[in-house]
Amino acid sequence: MKKLAILALAGMVLLAVGVSYAAAPALNNQTDCNTNYTKCREFTLNLDAPWYKVMVLLTACDIAFGKCMLGL
Amino acid sequence: MDATKRQVLAAAAVVLVTAVAAFVAAGSGGAGGQAVDRRQAVEITLPANVSDEAVLGRPVALALAADRLYIADALDCAVKAFSKDGRFLGSLGRKGLGPGELSFPSGVAAFDEGVAVADKLNFRIQVFDARGTVCGGFKVPFAPDRVFALGGRKLLVTANPSGRGRGERLLHAFDDGGRQLWDALEADISSDPVLDAFRNMILVCPGEDGDVYVVYRSGRRTILHFSGSGILTGQIAVDERHGFKSLDMPSRRGVVTLTGFCWAAARDRGTFYLSAPEAVDGRDLGPGRTASVVDGQGRLRSVVELPCPVHRFLVADGRMFAIDDEGLLRIFEVGR
Repeated sequence: MKKLAILALAGMVLLAVGVSYAAAPALNNQTDCNTNYTKCREFTLNLDAPWYKVMVLLTACDIAFGKCMLGL
Repeated sequence: MDATKRQVLAAAAVVLVTAVAAFVAAGSGGAGGQAVDRRQAVEITLPANVSDEAVLGRPVALALAADRLYIADALDCAVKAFSKDGRFLGSLGRKGLGPGELSFPSGVAAFDEGVAVADKLNFRIQVFDARGTVCGGFKVPFAPDRVFALGGRKLLVTANPSGRGRGERLLHAFDDGGRQLWDALEADISSDPVLDAFRNMILVCPGEDGDVYVVYRSGRRTILHFSGSGILTGQIAVDERHGFKSLDMPSRRGVVTLTGFCWAAARDRGTFYLSAPEAVDGRDLGPGRTASVVDGQGRLRSVVELPCPVHRFLVADGRMFAIDDEGLLRIFEVGR
């Protein structure tokens, strides 16, 4: 019974997250996200910074792109 | 001991010392087993440029014309012109979206008709005449990175892959009216866009006959040769004495060792100048202070030692035009 309750709760949480994520892209203009992502990567690649720093900044571009697409 | 015996002993001593010196030199020569000639670059003092306009914000690309050097300044959204001895002459373009205006100029090429500029964030190539007036240009379907003149009114434009799908090409050739002539060199794409960015970093050195040489910045020790029609015609294996520098990089698949091969590259009359990355801040790789001089068969001929790390450079007639760590223009005599 306890297991069933936990599973139901987890299912509800996942459903809520799924519904909000599915609705989120509509709130954001995908073209803007793509444009900002392209700018972020191109700025970073032209920084000529040491490679570890470039890697960190490119990862930040990816995270920002994900957040933009999800409307977070 | 008579004079003859002393002469024989002296000659034997000279032979012995020479042999030992040769053995030591060969030992320090690296994998090839041959000593490499190392020489110091001689810096040329530049004239004082008092104008604020002459200050480079973020110089990202250089191009040489017959009598001047052009530098694309991504921060100032302009292309700055200098004489070959470093005197500031003026600038082309300003920030904006309209004709003659630039947004993050990332590449510049000089050719007979004028100066072509990769206007990255306006997704176009613009062509200026020597007076700075726009005299042509065209839109491109990607953010152009570098631009090179191939001769015969042809331009080569490079692209960084977006990482959103397979089939993207890194090299695109256009005529001066914007008609695409060919594209080549498919990007190496995986599920990790960060690692892909490093795997697809290339440096381009135009040849003398409209052909192109491509040097990967990491992972490969070969120089690719493309004909003027975009066909891969050969690969040059570079001497192992111009070695890889490795960097452990976290990725989605765990720690990946990135093998840095070349930070900057140039070609002058059949000779390549390859700058190996160097360790900085303990674990990182940054621009190097040396340039390996490599012939057309990939053999290391000599190493030029520079007084500072250099990010980008061009070499013409034994003279290197370089951008240093501070974003300053430096000119060195590197010999031929």
